[in-house]
Amino acid sequence: MNPVSDSALALVSLIVVAILVIAILFSLYAILLRVGHSRREALQAELQDRWEGPVLSAIADPARVSDVHPLVPQRYRMHFVQFVLDYARRVRGAERRTLRRLVEPYLDEIAERTQHPRAEVRTRAVQTLGTLGLPKYSKEVLAGLEDPSPLVSMVSARYLARPEFPEFGPALMDHLDRFEGWNRFFLASMLAAMGPEVSPVLRDGLVDGAQPPWLRAVYAEALRMQVDARSADPAVEALSTVGEQRDLAASLLRLLAAVGRPEHVDAVRPLCNGGAEIVRAQSFHALGMLGDERELPLLFAGMEDDSPWAALHAARGAREAGGATLLREMAHEEGDRARLAGQVLFEEEGA
Amino acid sequence: MSDAFWTVVWTFNYIVLGYFIVLHVVYLGTSLFAFRALRAYALRLKSLDLTDLITSAWAPPITLIAPAYNEEATCVESVRSLLTLEYPDYEILVVNDGSKDATVERLKEAFNLYEASRVPTAELESAEVRRIFRSRRHPNLWVIDKENGGKADALNAGLNHCQTPLFCAMDADSLLEPEALIRIVRPFLEDADTIAAGGVLRIANGCTVRQGRVVDVRLPKKLLPRLQVLEYLRAFLAGRMGWDALDATLVISGAFGIFKRDVVVSAGGYSTDTVGEDMELVVRMHRYCRENEIPYRIHFVPDPVAWTECPESLAVLGRQRDRWQRGLFQSLLRHRVMLLNPRYGRAGMVAFPYFFFLEMLGPVIEFLGYFSFTVTILSGRADWPFVIAFLCVAMVLGVALSLAAVALEELSFRRYPRMSDLLALFTLTLIENFGYRQLSAWWRLKGTVSALRGKEGWGHMVRTGFNVEAEEGAP
Repeated sequence: MNPVSDSALALVSLIVVAILVIAILFSLYAILLRVGHSRREALQAELQDRWEGPVLSAIADPARVSDVHPLVPQRYRMHFVQFVLDYARRVRGAERRTLRRLVEPYLDEIAERTQHPRAEVRTRAVQTLGTLGLPKYSKEVLAGLEDPSPLVSMVSARYLARPEFPEFGPALMDHLDRFEGWNRFFLASMLAAMGPEVSPVLRDGLVDGAQPPWLRAVYAEALRMQVDARSADPAVEALSTVGEQRDLAASLLRLLAAVGRPEHVDAVRPLCNGGAEIVRAQSFHALGMLGDERELPLLFAGMEDDSPWAALHAARGAREAGGATLLREMAHEEGDRARLAGQVLFEEEGA
Repeated sequence: MSDAFWTVVWTFNYIVLGYFIVLHVVYLGTSLFAFRALRAYALRLKSLDLTDLITSAWAPPITLIAPAYNEEATCVESVRSLLTLEYPDYEILVVNDGSKDATVERLKEAFNLYEASRVPTAELESAEVRRIFRSRRHPNLWVIDKENGGKADALNAGLNHCQTPLFCAMDADSLLEPEALIRIVRPFLEDADTIAAGGVLRIANGCTVRQGRVVDVRLPKKLLPRLQVLEYLRAFLAGRMGWDALDATLVISGAFGIFKRDVVVSAGGYSTDTVGEDMELVVRMHRYCRENEIPYRIHFVPDPVAWTECPESLAVLGRQRDRWQRGLFQSLLRHRVMLLNPRYGRAGMVAFPYFFFLEMLGPVIEFLGYFSFTVTILSGRADWPFVIAFLCVAMVLGVALSLAAVALEELSFRRYPRMSDLLALFTLTLIENFGYRQLSAWWRLKGTVSALRGKEGWGHMVRTGFNVEAEEGAP
């Protein structure tokens, strides 16, 4: 190396010392974390031993709820709420109601935490109130829908979307635009979980061209999950206005396949040719579910589709439309169509 | 010797010094990002019951694609483990890649397989599929028996027969934790633009496995696997977590990653002419989405875990690292258009240059530096106090970065519950500086040279098997 000046050497030495200090700090940090966690775990185990018996007794006999509260010291109230929350996730009905009574005196403090600057603390609070504090703390949980953190609003929505609280449906529907980035099926399952109370709103949304296509697709999927028979006609109406929105078209076709009637095949048939792969595939599926032998020529032609997905759906559609006998004959031929026929028959009949 | 010669030598010395500083600044930077991200993630996990959230709602169906080659000793145990995963809707496709042993026979016997029909849903190139089997006992278990074509080829065969929107690429001999799928699928639910997510690999050597599950986590007894435990902590918790925080994930391990099927198929599937098919695919997905203006996100998720067996001998480890380096080299050279190209966003402007200059070319710079450094010292021109100070910086920085990874583990998941394990990890941060780091650099250099010479193939990987606890009642 080039001879270096004393000052450069001093600088390097200083860096060595600084990094050494950082390394020592990392080690201490790791040890402190380990010790802290071990202590917390020991405390939790001790508290669990103390509370488990009385809480189980209270679940068995709700008159004994008041026996539990003296066992919860002031400083361990939040530990107690957490302990009960873990139980509450596993039970429903009367047992859950008893658990709500057990934590009732402590929920005001949890409600204050919905204003905490940290999103994670707010999430935890909303989750606790959503599980143990509804409907009393509905104001706080509803406010979570407008929380700047997507995490808080997601948890808030999940806990509000429950069939026992249909009154929260409209508020939740008003905030759906916050969840545009979510997986569509995940969001639809949340809406479907709210039960038939929300179906009319979903049906109206389905045909409302002013709504964004992604949201209408979510409505369609939710209605399909609810197997809402009354949504078939709105689905046909919506299908006539989808234009280039292939995801919306696919969702509407899935809905029709689930709840449609034979007269709806006229709306489906034109979509079997051309358009996006997913639309063709779902059209063949819907045609098979709604149609009969008259649709077989179109479905057999679909088995030659360039897209293996669309072809597979066409073959399945042919089977559903009453083409099993012809498919059996086809399965003895050579080529891709024969293999497809063999597969879809196999799916139904097994080995 | 001439002045020109010494100018070259000193230049190399300073290049190495610069490389070294930049490399460690990047490591330190990703570690700091990882600290922030992991802390937030740990709090988030505490504040959110993921299992409740996912199992109570729609969970996307997933196909697990597990390529298997000569796995007769472990395949039954591995598949049993996959069948016990806690996930509402999944299929398992074991792809027998032309094994020369009795892999298929073992599976047929253990799971009552019968020959079944399953037409392909994609047309990715792969070697010929001979037969397809399905289990009578577990209808979600399928075995595809195909001609040998390599891991990427087997994955493509599996992809051709995948019928779900997501698939999970994994090694047949990895053990997924029961909740691994529930945890790794989360980004796909929260963000519809997610196209891929990678989980964590942890080392199973030394751990006790019962019925396909790791039930007792311990550090391995042998030094070499122990050093790899530390290395994996650094790579996953500090490295990948940091890159994820920067939204520039360029690597998802081939042993455990989940992908959107349609995007992978549209991008062309796995490349069969590289030994780094996992990295190559992720880089290509970045490129494909950017070039086609598809909004996308690629995530690293730190809590879903796949346990894997690591090499226990220097020879096998050397071959593995040689292959990794070749894979890196091939992937980056193939997609060099991304280098410092703003069109490819952070992947092209941040992650790609890091992997290109520091990981791919690093070993070459490092060894040329060692050479010029040695020449300087032997010629008596070295300034000894400076040399010693420089070596101290190198070592202390290495130790600090490893300690940061250990601290990250304590901050987040604490998989090694014994205090003795924690202290052993501390000790390893020192030990690895004496020989192991240099060996790693040497293997990477060899890998680079092999790549330049066009070497192909994976090299033979010897596995000793998991430490399987005997089941009750077993002799």
